[in-house]
Formats: sequence, C-alpha cells, structure tokens
Amino acid sequence: MFESCLEIRRHFWDYLEGECDRSVFRSIRYHLDYCASCRMELERIETLKNDLDTLPARRVPPELALRLRVKLSRHLHQNLLDRFLVFVDNALKPLLLPASGGVLAAILCFALIMGSQIIPAASMTDDSGGSNQPPRVQMLAPITFPTGEEGIVVVTHIDAEGRVLSYRVLSGSYSPQVLRHLDRMMYFSHFQPAMMDGKPTDGQVVLSLRQITVRG
Amino acid sequence: MSYVRTVEAALDRASRIAGEEATLVAELQAGSEGAFAYLLGVYQTPVFDLVSHIVENPSDAADVLQDVFVKVFRRIGQFQGDSSLKTWIYKIAIHEASNHRRSWLRRFRREPVSLDAETIGPPIAQSREDTPYQMLEKSERQALVRRALASLASPYRTVVVLREIEGMSYEEIAQVLGVAEGTVKSRLVRGRELLRRKLAGYGAPSGII
Repeated sequence: MFESCLEIRRHFWDYLEGECDRSVFRSIRYHLDYCASCRMELERIETLKNDLDTLPARRVPPELALRLRVKLSRHLHQNLLDRFLVFVDNALKPLLLPASGGVLAAILCFALIMGSQIIPAASMTDDSGGSNQPPRVQMLAPITFPTGEEGIVVVTHIDAEGRVLSYRVLSGSYSPQVLRHLDRMMYFSHFQPAMMDGKPTDGQVVLSLRQITVRG
Repeated sequence: MSYVRTVEAALDRASRIAGEEATLVAELQAGSEGAFAYLLGVYQTPVFDLVSHIVENPSDAADVLQDVFVKVFRRIGQFQGDSSLKTWIYKIAIHEASNHRRSWLRRFRREPVSLDAETIGPPIAQSREDTPYQMLEKSERQALVRRALASLASPYRTVVVLREIEGMSYEEIAQVLGVAEGTVKSRLVRGRELLRRKLAGYGAPSGII
C-alpha cells in the first residue's frame, strides 16, 4: 500500500491514536514487522506523544489564585451597597473571634472579681441578716422611779462589749434622786452592742422612760 | 446488544454532564459567587497551563489568566451553549493569550528570552513502576519537549497543545480556534512534524540526548 518508509511514517501519530483506517492499520503492522528503522521511529514518536500527554501542568501560584478571586469578587459586587456589605463583612469577620473572646474574658474576670467581694450569708455573725446594726436593749433593769408626766429621754453610749460607757438626759425633769436611779438602771441593764461589717463596735441607743400608773 | 448499551450509557453520561453544565451556567449567569469559585477551581489550572504554552514570556501567564477570567465573568451572560463551557473558556483564553503574545512581540521582538528560566515543577512519577532514574530521564526529556514546543510557530504550537496536551477533539479545536477541521488537521500534521524534527534523536535508546 505504501511506497516508502517516509510515506508510512506520516501515519504513525494516527496509528498510535487508533484513528487510521483498518487497511492502513494492517499495512503499518505488516511494514513494522520487517522494518527496524520504522519500528524505532514509531517508538520515538510514542515516547514523544506520551511525554506530551504527561507534561506536568503548571500550577497556579496560591497568591495568583487569591488575587484572581478578589478581582472577580470585586467585579461581582460592583454596586455600592454590595461593595459596602462586602467591606463590612470583610472588616467584621476578622474581628469577630477576638471580640467574642474579649467579651467572654471580660465576663469571666467580672464574675471572678465580684465573686471574691460577696460575703457568703453563712459566714455572717448577725442573725437578723444585716451586717450593720445599731445597739439594742437586751434587758432593762426592773427599777422604778418617778419620771413625771412627760417622761425622761436618755441617750446612752454602749461600747463594743455591750457595757454602758455614759449617758445623757435629753429631756424630762430629773433630780439627783432620779439620776441615782438612772445610774443603777444603766449598771444593771444588758445591751447588745452595735455591729459594723459584722463586727461589734461602739454605738448610741436612745431610751424613753416613763412610769405608768394604772388605777384599779 | 452490548454495543447498543455502551452507546446508550455514553449518551446518558453526556446528557447528564450537559445538564450539570447547564445548571452551572445558569448559576454563573445569575451572578452566583459560589459558582464562580467552582469555575475557578475547575478551570484555573488548565487555563493557566494552556496560556503558559502560548505566551512568549511564561511570567505573563498570570496577567493573561486574570484577563481571561474577567472576560469570562463579563461575557457569561452572552454564552448561548452553542459549544461546551470548556470550549468557550478555551476560546477566550487562546484569544487573550494570542493578543498578549502579539503585543509582547511588538515590544520585545529583539530581546532574547531564556526558556531555561521557566519554572517547572519537580518530576512526578506517572506510574508506580517509575524508578528515580526513569523519573529524572523523563523530566529531562519533558524539559526538552517544552523548549521545542515553545519554539514552534504559534498556530502549530496552539494546535499541538490543544490536541496532545489538552486532549481535545478536532471538532473542539476547530471551535476554539474558529477554523475548519481540515485546517486543524493540516496544522497538527505540520506541527507534529516540526516538533519531531526539532527533537531529532529524541527517545533514542541512550535515553538522554
């Protein structure tokens, strides 16, 4: 079918791709059986074809891929609102994690600091539930003396142990005899001292004394 | 009977691919950013490789690649589906690369360009049977092929790249280049012959030339 090697070699590429006619295919096979030169040439072309086929593709550098995406994204968001939204999105996204972390850390710190400031209710010495209280009368000595119609108002200074340090008559008529009765009353009466931050401290208590006579 | 089944299976697969592509094109035309990200993921490497073979200076391929995808983005609304999306993108890529090459030649025609400077990745074993020596030998052969390919005249080089490297059919190449199939075949024959001559002694038993 073919006149020369040169002519047959023109069909080698199609032969390797399986795209030549059946008659051409048979002729080439027949020729290759006795022509070593053409066999070698076919091998060369096969190697070349294989090398072309497996030529490693040039990879797109990562920075170029990123630049390309940014460029296309800009084209995609060309109106002002879109661009603004993308800008806000891009600006907020990187801040979202640090901001969330910051807020959580602040809440944690606040809880820790405030937790150390709160005194547990169980640790308080005050039964009434308050840490600051004025002094109170626990038991007034049962001593009677004439106070007159208007009665006597006395301000009494109580120390941290519940003892009377001094007293002063604010109103009412009093005589040296009444004052002696008052001295005895202060001496024998019991007071609960004032409390400040759960600790006993000095304080003042005002007593209004009046003798009530019931006629039967 | 089995032949009929094979043909039916091939047609079924082809129509499924066409359907998937139609969905992708519809999403692209709707301006979906996700669709464009997918498109870039699929086509940026083959287009970059194709463009690198066509432009004179391989470092210009980055600029051309960006221009290609910006054009794809701008013109996707005009895509009618007359050809496959791949053919359409390649057509734009060839056009852009050829334009870039022409303007490059006008500016730097007289300046020599070193083809040794181009960066090619490390040799990759094509099969598990490749020994390190065979890999090295193949890598050196492929470097020679690259140089020989780069020295071909542009019309022949483009056809050889599209056929032998991209594996496109004559019909697809004709669509991409906008020429008749006969022209593609004749350019391919000429291109292969030129390549073979430039690589005289290539693939000789000694291995490395």
